[in-house]
Amino acid sequence: MPPVDVQLKFILPSDPRYLPVVRATIAPLAAAIGWDESECRAITLALDEALANIIRHAYQNRTDGRIELECRQSTEGLEFTLLDHGEPPDRSKICARQIGCDQPGGLGSHIIRDVMDTVCYELTPEGNRFTATKRLRKTI
Amino acid sequence: MKISVREAGPVKIVEVEGDVDLGTSPDLRRTLFEALQQAPKLALNLASIRYIDSSGIATLIEVLKDSQRLGKEFVLFGLSPAVQQVFRLTHVIRIFQVFNSEQEALESA
Repeated sequence: MPPVDVQLKFILPSDPRYLPVVRATIAPLAAAIGWDESECRAITLALDEALANIIRHAYQNRTDGRIELECRQSTEGLEFTLLDHGEPPDRSKICARQIGCDQPGGLGSHIIRDVMDTVCYELTPEGNRFTATKRLRKTI
Repeated sequence: MKISVREAGPVKIVEVEGDVDLGTSPDLRRTLFEALQQAPKLALNLASIRYIDSSGIATLIEVLKDSQRLGKEFVLFGLSPAVQQVFRLTHVIRIFQVFNSEQEALESA
């Protein structure tokens, strides 16, 4: 029989109270797939930052927006897809912050790009779609 | 997240336990800004933080900048592995005074 790839789907409100629920699922999932503790923390942080960006920017801290999160295991690693129906992201502000500066804002998108291997923001008929992948680098 | 504040001489020490994220960082921000008003030096113990996101780091940067504006000191100590990792990812560790222990943080000028 072919291997069963894990696929998880969450539908959650744009309420920060649900962020710990997602974190508590993603960290053990990443560990089960094969990342070490530090990488699991980083992957969880990157996804949490992407969700926080949707809450803050797409839904402007409204707690009644809809967020769909899909986590899909592939032969290469893990893929996250987030879909929301809020304001589209301002591309000019993504990673606009200078690395190492002492300004408090804009840290999240840098974390996402540092941790994940690919990151994509798209405006689709279904809403704002964010896709990020993380490859599992196998050691021999 | 649990926050407590105590005093060691003229220094206010803030202890944080648990997760600092988009939902909880406003509470941390409020506590730190209040404590900063009441003492010439503020020390934040990060040893029991299990998780911190960029909103938590942004809060620390805001408090640091306010402490500088007021001519006060804001120092960090006891960085847990989770906190160290986020500082590495955000490249902002160099702007803070960081100490291993409470004693070192209190003794710093």
